Amino acid sequence: MRFVSFRPAACVAASAALLLLATAPSQAQTRAETLRYVTGASVNTLDPNIPGATRESFGLSMSTYDRLVAFGRKQLNGKWVFDLDKITGELAESYDVSPDALKITFHLRKDAKFQDGSPVTAEDVKWSLDRCVTAPILGKAQLLTGSLTSADQFKVIDPLTIEVTLPKPDKLALPNLATVYPMIINSKVAKEHATADDPWATAWLKEHTAGSGAYVVETFKPGEQVIIKRDEAWNRGSPDKPAFFKRVIVQSVPEPATRANLVERGDADIVVDLQASDVQSLEAKGKLKVVSTPQYNAITFVSMNNQIPPFDNVNVRRAIAFALPYDDMFKAALFGRGAPLFGASWPDGKPLNGIYPFQAPVKIDLEKAREYLKAAGLPEGFSTTFSFNVGQASTAEPMAALVKESLAKIGIKVDIQKLPDAQMSTQINEKKLPLFTEGIVAWLPSTDYFYRNFYTGNQRWNYSSTNNPELAAIAQEARFELDKAKYEEDGRKLNAIHFSEMPQIPLWQPNQDAVMAPSIEGYTYEFHRQVDYRDVSRK
Amino acid sequence: MTSGLGTTMVRAGRRLLSSLPALFGVLVFTFLLMRVLPGDPAVFFASGPNAGKEEIEQIRKQMGLNRSVPEQLVYYLSDIGQGNLGRSMMTGQPVLKDLRERLPASLELTFTALLIALIAAVPLGVVAALRPGSLVDHGVRLFCALGVCVPTFVSGLLLIYVFYYLLGLAPDPTGRVDVFTSLPPQRTGFLSIDFLLAGDVEGWWAACKQLILPAVSMALFVIAPLARITRASMLVSLGSDFVRTARSVGLSWHKVVITYALRNAILPVITIAGIVFSTMLGANVLVEKVFSWPGVASYALDALLSSDYAPVQGFVLLMASLFVLVNLVVDVCYGIADPRVSIE
Repeated sequence: MRFVSFRPAACVAASAALLLLATAPSQAQTRAETLRYVTGASVNTLDPNIPGATRESFGLSMSTYDRLVAFGRKQLNGKWVFDLDKITGELAESYDVSPDALKITFHLRKDAKFQDGSPVTAEDVKWSLDRCVTAPILGKAQLLTGSLTSADQFKVIDPLTIEVTLPKPDKLALPNLATVYPMIINSKVAKEHATADDPWATAWLKEHTAGSGAYVVETFKPGEQVIIKRDEAWNRGSPDKPAFFKRVIVQSVPEPATRANLVERGDADIVVDLQASDVQSLEAKGKLKVVSTPQYNAITFVSMNNQIPPFDNVNVRRAIAFALPYDDMFKAALFGRGAPLFGASWPDGKPLNGIYPFQAPVKIDLEKAREYLKAAGLPEGFSTTFSFNVGQASTAEPMAALVKESLAKIGIKVDIQKLPDAQMSTQINEKKLPLFTEGIVAWLPSTDYFYRNFYTGNQRWNYSSTNNPELAAIAQEARFELDKAKYEEDGRKLNAIHFSEMPQIPLWQPNQDAVMAPSIEGYTYEFHRQVDYRDVSRK
Repeated sequence: MTSGLGTTMVRAGRRLLSSLPALFGVLVFTFLLMRVLPGDPAVFFASGPNAGKEEIEQIRKQMGLNRSVPEQLVYYLSDIGQGNLGRSMMTGQPVLKDLRERLPASLELTFTALLIALIAAVPLGVVAALRPGSLVDHGVRLFCALGVCVPTFVSGLLLIYVFYYLLGLAPDPTGRVDVFTSLPPQRTGFLSIDFLLAGDVEGWWAACKQLILPAVSMALFVIAPLARITRASMLVSLGSDFVRTARSVGLSWHKVVITYALRNAILPVITIAGIVFSTMLGANVLVEKVFSWPGVASYALDALLSSDYAPVQGFVLLMASLFVLVNLVVDVCYGIADPRVSIE
């Protein structure tokens, strides 16, 4: 058949097919020096302090800015993870802690320069830390957990020395200075862009950087990609933290299956947010390097609102704890990729140690669960809802079905509620959900920090809304406890209260599965759960 | 001719004016809808590891949510009047800037998909209409049914699997251009045009390669309605008196089918194409997600999930305006093509 008038169209189709066939292997040698990191979310601000900053923004800021100090790293079951107890200098060459632990003096490196070439001075450090505790930004609430609350606490001694004073000997003061927020900003540049309404230049720093970090931002397209290039003058890298890659591309690829394809084909170098099922199959194929680290600062819970009946009754909470099909949930949700927090045995009924999170002696035991329900005066069971957010559907959905099935066996009728993310966080904040699953992360995972932030007060992160004065008092006391043995004893007490009160049920610590090209080395699990680009190199 | 064009313009202007109340309605409706939806954006965005009440209040103030709803509406309308669509919490950018950067990506994809769909659908429809009930007709029907049955993200993932993963022919499905290619200076926002204007043929190839798979997976979905409409109106047209007359006077097959029958049958196809275009622009979110295409639809979906009001409102306003515009263009084209049509 002849369709003369469609001939141009046929030409277009033919040339289209040609284009598809043509592949261009260009720029091969720079590719080896480039790290392409793909992620489901995206960098939305260059200043991680801006409310609403994503985790990807945190990860990026670690490379674009320096802090006074940084965390070292250690091996945990053969994998590199950050080490909360080893604080090394970054901009500080060294630091001294006074004997009473109330003064920390930082000595800055003499050769440290900002990316514009000007030297890093104690004035810049003071301005940056002042900003962190005064401006209405995220750093304020974080530094509060290390007793850093006011600009008066930071004193410039000389151009290369700065002194931090503490009201109490707070163990978390120093680690706090290694977290994402207290980054050191070039104060001269930032002040030029400050306005009367915005004295800390938050608006300008959101879209520009003025730091001394290992990488300079080349292009920043929020929601799409960020390209950074190495600052050749940067020398803060310790032997185990050199900046190897000349360029790093951080790219958003929302579809997890596509991310898996990219890394498998070798077009992406590293990805940390694949679906557990994809990780499983990639690991089985054996072509790529898979580093699975249990996120030892994160926990997934089944939470109960301790203020809403029937969950205000401790026996109901215990009944739930013994009616969950832990093993099946762990397999269905995570394919077993994580560290379980159930199924322990406590021979004398007491916690094995004072570390939180702990593995609890709970397992599915429907007889026991029924007894607890009877003791609660609800032998017939009751009806409730089980909520989770859409963003976690891939793990929470199979879990919810199993919870529903298992609780039905002891007479508890469960309706599954799948809520959009914003709605879920609102309802949690307003303490309206009776039974739900959520997760938490602590940047500074020490026992008292977990208990103070996640088990006290009428605030969002106290998922279970528990209000136990004894627990709160011990946690508060442990915070300033310098004696290690006493601290351990406090931890044991807290864990014992947790198990007997059962405010919520810790399930597991999911793995961070970093899937990378076989040539990538040095990956370390960091507290911000992103790749620190300075850690990795190519063989 | 000039007076004809003049009246068309006047008509178009009047049409545009009459659509303003509708746009205003859309504006207010979306505004209220977003606020009625459960979910507090401030709580969602204050999700840093230590964000407490103070941070939530801070964000609420920043988003203007501490004011009453009518007050917020007045502020919002006055902002719109000044061409300010607000700021997205998600990307941290002004919504107008986000949309301006992302709309060309969506338009380029949609135009290409529509072009591919038309190129495939019209011949298919004509072939089917020429031999109704034949094997060819059934074949076309089957193809169309398959295209409609398979959701775009499934066909998208399949295409990626075959052409990228298995065969390695297509470039990686991550956005509009290979990350290693430097972008041309922005003129139209359509990369395939900008590269040509910059004289960068290699870049143009790269951009076109990225475009083909998403465009094809979108096109597959809309081939069916276009092909079916072509077939139906071709059947009417082929059975009409003027075709019979043309055949009886012994005109060539080509003249009868293409010049007379198809030309008369194409009008409804154009109308449908206009509607299909508008729907595609908003509904291609799944394709945008699968191919990491930085378009407006995926932007709006992300915003909706996190209750980020400003981008959603901006997106709906944009879509409404585009819809008005596309309808206007279709109407005007119609009027020019067939002067008997009046759109009073």
